[in-house]
Amino acid sequence: MTDIDEAMLIALVDGELDEVTRRRVDRAVADDPALAERLAMHRRLRERLAGHYAPIAQEPVPGAMRALVEESARVVPLVRPAQRWRGWVTGGAIAASLVLGLSLGRLTGSEGGPIGLHDGVMVAQGALAQALDTQLASAQGDAAIRIGLTFQRKGGGWCRSFDGAVAGVACREGDGWYVQQALPGAGQGRAYRQASSSDARVMATVDALIDGAPVDAAAEAAARGKGWR
Amino acid sequence: MSFEHDLLAILPRLRRFAASLSRDRADGDDLCQAALERALKARDQWQPGTRLDSWIYRIMRNLWIDEARARQRAAKTFAPAEAGEHVGHAGDRDIEAHVHLTDVDRAMQALPDEQREAIALVLVEGLSYKEAAAVLGVPMGTLTSRLVRGRGALIELMGEAA
Repeated sequence: MTDIDEAMLIALVDGELDEVTRRRVDRAVADDPALAERLAMHRRLRERLAGHYAPIAQEPVPGAMRALVEESARVVPLVRPAQRWRGWVTGGAIAASLVLGLSLGRLTGSEGGPIGLHDGVMVAQGALAQALDTQLASAQGDAAIRIGLTFQRKGGGWCRSFDGAVAGVACREGDGWYVQQALPGAGQGRAYRQASSSDARVMATVDALIDGAPVDAAAEAAARGKGWR
Repeated sequence: MSFEHDLLAILPRLRRFAASLSRDRADGDDLCQAALERALKARDQWQPGTRLDSWIYRIMRNLWIDEARARQRAAKTFAPAEAGEHVGHAGDRDIEAHVHLTDVDRAMQALPDEQREAIALVLVEGLSYKEAAAVLGVPMGTLTSRLVRGRGALIELMGEAA
């Protein structure tokens, strides 16, 4: 048996694995005909679905739909009114990430925030990376960043939840921590609050990722000792 | 480029997404038309520089969810959500008990809404996990678990599990 699960096979088919993990899955597949068959099955499924719906996008668009858009082009003045932050329903997510982005950027000034972007993936850096690497939940005094739960994710690999100026969950990938989620946290330099407003959403992410239960202090320390491998 | 010009360019894909969510092609076109009307009305809420397709996928998906809820209220003849969930959860163990549905449309319809929309965005529309999670407003982990369960159910329903 290998530690390659369904989610990893699927992520491979969907082109979502990083290079290191992709090679790991490729190797496992080469050694395991049953795994290779499952991979082929997932490839067939994706091709079949995409192939089934593809012709629709090749058809001419119905006249009524086209007319709706073309009509709009005629009645709406070419100069659009200035952008208004009126659309909190549809613009809400963008607004929230903008606000969060501003606060991330502002935290450490020119050094860059606790989260950087690498190829479109959020990666922990600076003090956050340091805390994820070294800090044990059982011994963190009044650190600015608090480590919450440490757990194994489905498919293998360590993840840790954190709270501070930013709250969220990060999972170990290679030598770094991919941030799965980043939300406004309970705050920096304040006494740790058990329930920040982001807690429920962080817990939902933990629930979605976790394999089994969070580890205890001894297992947490042991995992750190092995460099989160 | 004008808003309308960009919209016309993505119309065929919007129509495909609507079809993959809907019961049949006519329902899909109705959904697409409704989403277009709403998008044109709310055009000043779209942020230039962000993806127009993702924005309208989200509008369309929200309309579809609203409509599905209204339908469920109107007719309680729908299978309860748990029954749909069960389809998603049924793993290899239950293969001998499964019903062979070879038609992609019917298999997609049998999926719980949350799995169907995830499958449609990633497998049919080809969005990345990140883009799809943003359209649906869920964390990546939630999206990936829906993709895993949705695929398991589809394989079972379509008789792909050799």
